[in-house]
Amino acid sequence: MEANTEIKNAKVRIEHIEDVLSSVAAGDLDIRIESEIEDDLTGVEQAINLLIDDLTHELKKSIKMKEDMEDKLRKIQDQQKTILQQQEDLMELSSPVSKVWDNILILPVIGTLDSQRTQIMMENLLLKIVSTGCTTAILDITGVPTVDTQVANHLLKTVTAARLLGAECIVSGISPAIAQTIVHLGINLSNILTKATLQSAMIYAMKKNEQLVDGKVKTNFTDIDDIQL
Amino acid sequence: MDFNEKRIPIIKIRDYLIVSIQVDMHDRLALQLQTQILEEIYRTGAKGVLIDISTLEMVDSFIGRVLSGMASMAAIMDAAVVIVGMQPAVAITLVELGLEMPGVDTALNMELGMEMLEKRLNKA
Repeated sequence: MEANTEIKNAKVRIEHIEDVLSSVAAGDLDIRIESEIEDDLTGVEQAINLLIDDLTHELKKSIKMKEDMEDKLRKIQDQQKTILQQQEDLMELSSPVSKVWDNILILPVIGTLDSQRTQIMMENLLLKIVSTGCTTAILDITGVPTVDTQVANHLLKTVTAARLLGAECIVSGISPAIAQTIVHLGINLSNILTKATLQSAMIYAMKKNEQLVDGKVKTNFTDIDDIQL
Repeated sequence: MDFNEKRIPIIKIRDYLIVSIQVDMHDRLALQLQTQILEEIYRTGAKGVLIDISTLEMVDSFIGRVLSGMASMAAIMDAAVVIVGMQPAVAITLVELGLEMPGVDTALNMELGMEMLEKRLNKA
């Protein structure tokens, strides 16, 4: 009779443990197994309680970590957006082609050149040559710190493409470092007209267009004839 | 289809021949134009040829080669060839193809091309 009661009790307690475990599985971590009497099952119950405690702790930790990671990810995405925006801005700002005199265009290049930028530069310059009808273009690379083979190749292509359109392209402002690199790389720039400074390129262009005769500026669109240079 | 029906007109003004290409160039037409121009140079004794390609939106390597070959051929017949009004896209394509057309004169438009030829003939 007594044994029967014990088995019944044990059954009830095991059922209780099962209930608690299924609650935990469903996500309720505050629940614990409570027992009034001490016997063989108490150890098991306590162990399960401890396990639930650990589980709760770990879960909390991982949730916090996930939040941290998401926060960082958001920050990185924001930064990425800013970088892309700035790159776009830089692209727009980086290749202005301006008409400085009758028949003369200037493209000042500042900063490091990469293939994409030189490509955009080339397109801008060619479109501007066609739209303004200028036959002389000065490519000023004073602000370029270094060039590599690819960039030099692109410069050559730009000059050749401008020639195919019927415009002459002068490269000015080649720094000592760039000159050294170009010669060391074995790039032949001899069929490109190069001038030391933007000033000498400008003077050359104006002389060629007969806008500068004997040190005097001639223009046919204003009264500022005979400016002493 | 007879391609000879679609001839590109060659206009002679004083010492110059003016050719305005206003149709899509295909290979046979390009070759035919080349022969036609050289015959005209021989017949009229023209000193310069202006080829206007401003409406040509696409030039492949073959057409590019024909154009540059034509300039060399005309040069040994004592006629200067100036290619006029090339589109930026065409120029980029030719440069990317490595067809840099050395020895071919180019001008932005017909007017500048004409001036260029006059200067050349005055020098000679």
